[in-house]
Amino acid sequence: MTRIKRGYIARRRRTKIRLFTSSFRGAHSRLTRTITQQKIRALVSAHRDRDRQKRDFRRLWISRINAVIRGNKVYYSYSKLMYNLYKKQLLLNRKILAQIATLNRNCLYMISNEIIK
Amino acid sequence: MALLCGSTSVRSQDLSVVPLDERWMFEESEVNGPDIWNKTWYPKAADHVNTDKPWYIVDATDKILGRLASTIAIHIRGKNLATYTPSVDMGAFVIVVNADKVAVSGKKRTQKLYRRHSGRPGGMKVETFAQLQQRIPERIIEHAVRGMLPKGRLGRKLFNHLKVYKGSDHPHEAQKPTELPIRDKRIQMTR
Repeated sequence: MTRIKRGYIARRRRTKIRLFTSSFRGAHSRLTRTITQQKIRALVSAHRDRDRQKRDFRRLWISRINAVIRGNKVYYSYSKLMYNLYKKQLLLNRKILAQIATLNRNCLYMISNEIIK
Repeated sequence: MALLCGSTSVRSQDLSVVPLDERWMFEESEVNGPDIWNKTWYPKAADHVNTDKPWYIVDATDKILGRLASTIAIHIRGKNLATYTPSVDMGAFVIVVNADKVAVSGKKRTQKLYRRHSGRPGGMKVETFAQLQQRIPERIIEHAVRGMLPKGRLGRKLFNHLKVYKGSDHPHEAQKPTELPIRDKRIQMTR
């Protein structure tokens, strides 16, 4: 059998992975074996966190709405607001309500007063 | 506050004077302002400078320990604000005075135990509420509030925003602290 060197095949594959990992810290962007592992971990985290992102933002919106609603009246809370919202069949979702709460608080008070009636 | 008047961006260009083949040069956010309906508000550095945060003062005389610590922790963490963000310190500073007069219900004064361990075998030290109040009264409120703040880097930083004092005077007059708004009616110990 003639001797065959592997040449540049492995290197070509690894430079693509190295490009992905180029902004990582320390050995995670320098050592070849660590680079392959870190790329896999990064992609796994990204996949998992894309689903978590939806959950996390909804939690944040709910906390912000709750903070503003409780600050307005005694014995009023996010849960009661949502109940009233559904009763009046208002289709505003939590994202929009949270942005209204942060940027234009009086508008949210107007909405909540309307739906309490 | 810039938050309340909506979009504060200055429209740098009115796109109607720009020829059609150059319109790609202008970003949507430059023309119409930031997209508030598709990007959740996140605080910029200017939104949480420590010098602009409110200072609150609370007198702990005859207030139930846990209920007081709960309201303090909520204000320090910023959970009562519309701008609440879990990753950013948006809360206020809280000063507690007369910490040695804080009250507990039931038999907790003699039965509640504060434990700490020095790390070495047999190094568990146990004290009752009354003993600790004699020794270092500030530590009672600090222990209570620390248990209610998040544990982590941010939580440790938040803990530094709590200032507890034994007597009724405090060195923070220059910050002009206001009364901490307390909504819990059962916080005051009724004899």
